[in-house]
Amino acid sequence: MTQLITANAATNLYWLGRYLERIEASLIDINRAYDNIIDVDQNEGVALFEKLGIDIEYTNSSEFLNVAIFGDHAANLFDLLSCARENAIVARSYIEAEAFGSIIELHQHFETAQKNNFYIDFRFVDTAMSLISEIWGELTRKQTRNLHDYFMAMGKNVEKVDMSLRIGRDKEFALIVMKEIDTIVSILAPNASFKPHDLNESDEVILASINNKINKIITE
Amino acid sequence: MLEQSTSHIGKFWEVYQKQDRNKIEEFTKYMDKFAVNFNLYKDGNFIERSLPFDVVPRIIGASEFNKMDRGLSQRVKALNLFLEDLYTDQKIVKAGIIPSEFIYQAKGFLKELVGHSPSKKIRTHINGIDLVKDTVTDDWIILEDNLRVPSGASYPLSIRDTYRKIYPEFFENLKIEPIKQYPQLIKESMDYVNCGGINVVLTPGRYNSAYYEHSYLAETSNALLVRNHELVVKDKVVYFKNYDGKLIKVGAVYRRLDDEFLDPNFFNPESLIGVPGIMEAYLAGNVALLNAPGNGVADDKGIYYFVPQMIKFYLGEEALLRNAPTYLPYFADDMKYMMENMEKLVIKDVAEAGGYGVMFGHSMSKIQLEDLKTIIKANPRRFIAQELVEFYDEECYINDKLVPRKADFRAYVVMAEEPKVWKCGLTRYAMEAGNYLVNSSQGGGFKDTWVMGE
Repeated sequence: MTQLITANAATNLYWLGRYLERIEASLIDINRAYDNIIDVDQNEGVALFEKLGIDIEYTNSSEFLNVAIFGDHAANLFDLLSCARENAIVARSYIEAEAFGSIIELHQHFETAQKNNFYIDFRFVDTAMSLISEIWGELTRKQTRNLHDYFMAMGKNVEKVDMSLRIGRDKEFALIVMKEIDTIVSILAPNASFKPHDLNESDEVILASINNKINKIITE
Repeated sequence: MLEQSTSHIGKFWEVYQKQDRNKIEEFTKYMDKFAVNFNLYKDGNFIERSLPFDVVPRIIGASEFNKMDRGLSQRVKALNLFLEDLYTDQKIVKAGIIPSEFIYQAKGFLKELVGHSPSKKIRTHINGIDLVKDTVTDDWIILEDNLRVPSGASYPLSIRDTYRKIYPEFFENLKIEPIKQYPQLIKESMDYVNCGGINVVLTPGRYNSAYYEHSYLAETSNALLVRNHELVVKDKVVYFKNYDGKLIKVGAVYRRLDDEFLDPNFFNPESLIGVPGIMEAYLAGNVALLNAPGNGVADDKGIYYFVPQMIKFYLGEEALLRNAPTYLPYFADDMKYMMENMEKLVIKDVAEAGGYGVMFGHSMSKIQLEDLKTIIKANPRRFIAQELVEFYDEECYINDKLVPRKADFRAYVVMAEEPKVWKCGLTRYAMEAGNYLVNSSQGGGFKDTWVMGE
């Protein structure tokens, strides 16, 4: 039987994959910067956020953690997580119950810190990272793949490409992920055709191609 | 007042005493994790809140539940026959059992649907019947029939799931009826009336108070959760719009929105959550709607008065479950009684639901009572009055203490070929001592209900 899913649920799953990936990747970068700020390079946090076009200020490593995660800027992780939670609630009937529960738990972890003005430390980040790993594990531990799993996988991969290109990490890596995206697109839209990308293409061309693919898959 | 302890209740406390008290915290954490929410709109604001719950279950013995089961099945059968009759032959009106004014003035009666018979003549697919246990007679008494869009079944399903994980000892040591079959009952009901096509659950959307439940029931009954614009109607056929634009025929819609909002072409033209054309498809027999539009007339508080007579008329039987003693100001004798005894009665506005429009005579001032009498005299069809039923409290664990709280019980009766009563239900309790209003929308909480095996 054809697997059915509404465009709305598909879009929410796609964005859930993107937000979770962005939060995880950001936490990894923040953790690395935090570690270096302690005794290697005090400006590493500033440099990291500059790549995102955000100015931040801090006086020590602890303050950096708090500003990086809860600061008043566009990359505030609690805001991103609130969006992920919203996506999960809307698409709840397509998500493994355990994974859904862990997303709520992750949100509660951030919310408690935010509401109570906790001064967060490395343990907060460790717990968050563990919960994200649990979520990915819970989402992928099934023996079979459903159609809706691919929307989330696509979101995760698109975010990987986006972060790689925006932070200027590794274009080659981005192109490898693009191939994975193409595989997913061929499952979700079997009649779609596309040409492979190469290193000479600009970041803008690659990102525009992703948007085209998504528009081919989900028809609102 | 608490019910006299039974051997089942004794056994529960025996197992309970051996449990680690810290597990209650674990229980709460687990429920929070799965966001068992009941959303509220207060002063124009959307408030997402966890529905308060209690870990002490209500326990109902097998023979007691079986008696209730027979009474509920009988009632729902009769209500279904009543609705079918009302929208076709109207024999009950012609026989003078129910005055025609009660039908035609009922807000839920839809004259546009007269003459239409739905798929398999089933109208009352998923029903929530509210009962309380009377402390005087020890009988279960019917307070209200909910035949439109009754909600709440997912909450006991969730709390039971948590219970079994956190406290498996109870389920290993006591014969508690399993309840996982509820989504299957919903599926059977949808399949039975399905007009060819897939099953869907139609939700008003994320910000509806019971969105959690819509999502849960869609997932567990293997139906697709949809919002209005994910359904399209073409040539009187309803289609599901897949993510890739393909249209798939829909055979049954478990709609979780009221009649008024179901189809802007047929009902309220300003509805933003309805599916334009769905009623045309329904009337053409191309799609089943669960529950049937127009059911509101049968769960009208005024019509409730006549249910025992309906049972006699359609089934030739005496009602197995009693109504609360009810008075209709429409009848002169009842009006007289009400005017003389207002301070000891509960007065209900028939147009309201969810605990709204309920007035307790004993808590009103003399001026308020006089004002109410004037309003009732001017609008006799708008009100009913009931004797205050003193119903049992249930023990609840609130703020680390066991305290008695008023509690009702919503039984779920799901109809396919025959009605089936789910061996569980929603026990709702009032948060404050002495409060009789237990509705979730009035801040009440819920607890699990254990029906014991034979």
